[in-house]
Amino acid sequence: MSRVSGRYCIVGIGETEYSRWSGRTTLSMACEAILKAARDAGLAVDEIDGITSHQTAAGDSCTNDQVATALGIRTNVGVDILGGGNSIGQLVHQSVGLLEGGHCEVIAIFRSMNGRSGVRMGGGAPTARGSGPGAARPQLASGINQYQIPWGIRGAPTRFAMEAMAYLHRYGYSTLNMAELAVTQRRAATNNPKATRREVITIDDHQNSRWITKPFRLLDCCQENDVAACLILTSAERARDLAQPPVYILGGNARASSYRPDWVWALEDVNAGWSRHVGERAFANAGIDRGDVDIVTMYDNFTTTPMKYLEAFGFCGEGEGGAFIGDGRIGLDGELPQNTNGGQLSEGYAHGAGYLIETTRQLRGQADDYCPGWADGEHSYDRAGGCRQVRSREDRRSGNRDNPSPPTISFSVGGGGTAQGWSVALRR
Amino acid sequence: MPGPIDYSLINHQPDLDSAGWWEGAAAHRLLVPSCEDCAYRWFPPGPVCPSCRSMNLGWREAEGRGVIANYVVVCHPVLAAFREAVPYVVALVELPDCANANGEPVRIGGVLVDDEDAAAIGAPVEVVYDHAPDEAFVVPRWRVSGEAADGWRFEN
Repeated sequence: MSRVSGRYCIVGIGETEYSRWSGRTTLSMACEAILKAARDAGLAVDEIDGITSHQTAAGDSCTNDQVATALGIRTNVGVDILGGGNSIGQLVHQSVGLLEGGHCEVIAIFRSMNGRSGVRMGGGAPTARGSGPGAARPQLASGINQYQIPWGIRGAPTRFAMEAMAYLHRYGYSTLNMAELAVTQRRAATNNPKATRREVITIDDHQNSRWITKPFRLLDCCQENDVAACLILTSAERARDLAQPPVYILGGNARASSYRPDWVWALEDVNAGWSRHVGERAFANAGIDRGDVDIVTMYDNFTTTPMKYLEAFGFCGEGEGGAFIGDGRIGLDGELPQNTNGGQLSEGYAHGAGYLIETTRQLRGQADDYCPGWADGEHSYDRAGGCRQVRSREDRRSGNRDNPSPPTISFSVGGGGTAQGWSVALRR
Repeated sequence: MPGPIDYSLINHQPDLDSAGWWEGAAAHRLLVPSCEDCAYRWFPPGPVCPSCRSMNLGWREAEGRGVIANYVVVCHPVLAAFREAVPYVVALVELPDCANANGEPVRIGGVLVDDEDAAAIGAPVEVVYDHAPDEAFVVPRWRVSGEAADGWRFEN
């Protein structure tokens, strides 16, 4: 077990609305998310003395120093890292290191992006042909893109489709398995008022949605939206004086890398890159066994990714991910509830921050569902009635709905591709 | 056949590690990065052998015949250059004549000249070359050259 396991906590969470057109700067949204997280924690904004964030290489966000000066905070630490889905877990573990090293006392992690109205992943759809203001300009193809763009590969669906196809081929999964995952997560999202997609979908809806890049249909792809999210971390000692029950960071892995370039030349074994390799280390670092885990979140940029990670981290056997996600197993009352906010497929896309906000809420017993008393931990556990709060493993097994306990331990995996990824174990 | 690809909408910028590979393509030579010390071969080009870490590197010329190891079908256009080309198949092609002694394959991507119907994992392909306007760059592509003996096709 890591020597910092359980010594630092998530004490505050906040996010803006998920929208397709924020009409705001990423700086404005970042500040709102941080202010909300500080209020949630019961901290004065001035008490934040570290700020850290991530943004893509396209430069799709504001930076820590811009946020500090906008909020009028003199920080002791500011770090911005490059990355997308491979980042939020890295920032959590990196922040624990900065707190442990005495570089700051209270650190705010943010992700802010106009991912739909501003800089879209992969640049979005092509612009019109011909001349004029909307004319397509030549697309820069350098670095890894010098091999991908001339081959018609750009943006997440084309890049991740290759490894998804390899995965279907290797294990004989069908797109019905993918549909099952999308339908299950959407069911959870119907009890999430902030989810961008709340209408129930069926297997047929999935199968009838249009092709994007085979094997992905529209309903295999996560949302694109504008949002900012914030997590505030501090020490367990400091957390005792704050407003919320602390959620302890047990461990996991920060940002593991593959030994081979990703995507286009991915090996047919999609977990050979980084994910299977770090599984044992992540659990040992957190000081837990898989069997201790109450709920999971698995990065769902596309429907195949959670199945892949459930296998890589040993929640099911290799080649069993497709069957594992069926039979209600990953639903709110299942054996291993997964992506209980609806995930990025249904709640919205915050490049992974949404999972840690959701697990924090679930562990606190404060899932922000349609139950009027959710903020005080009062839930009906009536799924048809809008309740999203998950019960502890013991209460799920025994079928107890009479004042059940919230989950104790969550395990989140992020990254998306074969190249890099993270995991975070939390405990209430 | 997929529709035309408008290569004028790609601003192609090789770098000092990859220039030799693109020069090979321009001369219709399919090159594979190869380590002069341990003979390891890989793709894409880089500054160092990822197996023995030697920086003494060269090229091996592939005969240009391979087998589809994996493929996807792009239906929704994501690039202006490929706006008229959809749906098109992007194949990941394994080059048997460049395989490593330890069995590790070398794979290179490319857009199929053929439709999805012709694509299958296991199908044999041969290289062809597309020339961008004004010879700005030359891109290897692939043509299915026979039936897959034991091919696998994506069936929804």
